[in-house]
Amino acid sequence: MEKKTTGSVLFNGILKENPVLVLILGTCPTLATTSTVNGAVGMGLAALVVLVCSNVFISLLRRIIPEAMRIPCYIVIIAGFVTIVKLLVQAFFPDLYSTLGVYLDLITVNCIILGRAEMFANQNPVVASALDGIGMGIGFTLALGAMSTVREVFGAASFAGIAIPFLEPYKIEFLTKAPGGLLVYGLLIALIHVITKGKAPKKTSFSCASCPNAGTCRTGSCAEKGAES
Amino acid sequence: MKTHLKHLAVFVCICVVMTALLAVTNAVTAPLIEKNQNAAANQALLAVMPDGSGFETVDMAAYELPATVTEVYKETAGLGYVVKLTTAGYASDMVIMCGVKADGVVTGAVCLSSNETLGKEKTYGENFTDKDAAAVDAVDVIAGATKTTQAYKNAVKDAVNTAIILGGGSVDIRTEEEILADNLDAALPAGEKAFDKVFRVDVFDGIDAIYAAQNGAGYVFVVGEQFVGVNADGTLVTAGADNAAMYADAVTRLQSSTLEEIDLTAYPALEKTVVKAHKTSAGHYVVETKGAGYGIKGGNEYHPASNEYILVRVAMTADGKILDCLTVSEAETDGLGDACADESFYGQFVGKTEQDYTDIDAISGATMTTDGYKQAIERAFEAVKLLSGGDA
Repeated sequence: MEKKTTGSVLFNGILKENPVLVLILGTCPTLATTSTVNGAVGMGLAALVVLVCSNVFISLLRRIIPEAMRIPCYIVIIAGFVTIVKLLVQAFFPDLYSTLGVYLDLITVNCIILGRAEMFANQNPVVASALDGIGMGIGFTLALGAMSTVREVFGAASFAGIAIPFLEPYKIEFLTKAPGGLLVYGLLIALIHVITKGKAPKKTSFSCASCPNAGTCRTGSCAEKGAES
Repeated sequence: MKTHLKHLAVFVCICVVMTALLAVTNAVTAPLIEKNQNAAANQALLAVMPDGSGFETVDMAAYELPATVTEVYKETAGLGYVVKLTTAGYASDMVIMCGVKADGVVTGAVCLSSNETLGKEKTYGENFTDKDAAAVDAVDVIAGATKTTQAYKNAVKDAVNTAIILGGGSVDIRTEEEILADNLDAALPAGEKAFDKVFRVDVFDGIDAIYAAQNGAGYVFVVGEQFVGVNADGTLVTAGADNAAMYADAVTRLQSSTLEEIDLTAYPALEKTVVKAHKTSAGHYVVETKGAGYGIKGGNEYHPASNEYILVRVAMTADGKILDCLTVSEAETDGLGDACADESFYGQFVGKTEQDYTDIDAISGATMTTDGYKQAIERAFEAVKLLSGGDA
């Protein structure tokens, strides 16, 4: 595995390996919750908490969890933390709870969480895993925040529920719908490529650690090509 | 095997730890979540009872409430009740929430869900705020949305009755049909609860309505608020009723009255307006006349295949006083003009003459239908004049 510094672990998830805009993970909640900034940021922060907690817990137990039983164990841990976060949101942020709806429960099957658990937390110490969770969580939240800002400001002429009257006549309601979400998503991915001037990591340049399915293909093409798992 | 058991033990331990964490979280959050849920539920209730401080569910099983009532909440400070009702609208069921103070005054009414064509029910509830039971009765239904708004109004009345019942009062929650059936049964038990309304083809002064037992046991005469049962042999069933001779005579005439059909081919002028005509043994007339329905829009000519006319049966004295009236058939708009088939409408013509038959309440939102009906009545007067003149 490439030696990673504390800083790189933390910041990789924000831009270079942003889970949404570079790794193209967590697409479902990304499209579903980004029609409003409040919903998107709420989803991002909820996922961040689950990511950090599950990464820390799995890292702590990485020498105890049997190889053959790791996926069921991860799912139990992730589902447990998702339920805890759901109860906390329901208790302390009831409006956010009703906004996020079923997508809060679906964090359990978010590829980002399971992917980081499988490829990072179970191979790294607790602090590094926590930083990875924070970095990936912030990256996820920023991506959702950016996407929802575009969609809400230009699609609904408001930001975080606050109306922007001068944009009202020019709003493009299409952006608040699912096709508009896909369009903005594609444009943001293109923007990342422009910002990184082509240096954004290509799929083949990711380690298997970046692939949420790597756990089931360790003896497959990635391993044969010498990619580190 | 040993390895598998070890794996299983680890998995079980993880499950136990996560369960413990969930239990702790649940213990902390459960009261807050319940509080939030109650606040959300109260928000909906406060919409119809803005001065309410808190609400608790009332056990409906302990009371006999109107059938439309689905949920009842009591305001904890004793201000009153919020009643949730489901009633049949024009298109589908409407769910209505109504707040009623302990003294029976409505604090607010909103329609929570509906699928009505015109959407009048969305704001109709505003008309009931601060109204008591009598004032609720006086609220007008909306022309063009009679069925919707009448159902809404009845639901609000049910909510008021519910509040009165829960407050320890007594309210008759039977429908008008149920009240009538109970009164008929009480007046003539031998009728075994099966009665038909009699179409009166003779003069029965002082009697508002007559019902005949389907099993032939006798008749029930309605005089004002009183229901008088009379056996088929003319003897009174209802004790203490006055005018025993009048009822005996009425029974005799009801049983002996016969109808003789009049050959209309002898009256070409009636060809397009009168379908049937009979003369009674007492010298009165029963005619069935056509009036232009809404689909015909006042036209006088009828296509043979068209059924867009209103067919009215009218019993009339030879000198032109209506003895009874009935809508035989109509093809008017559902929820609007079809109200011409309701007794509350056609019953208005009973006792009228050619001078005052137009003095009736029109059907809300169905002026064309009302005019068509009056046209049919007018044709009945013309027909009886011609038929009685012809006889003479």
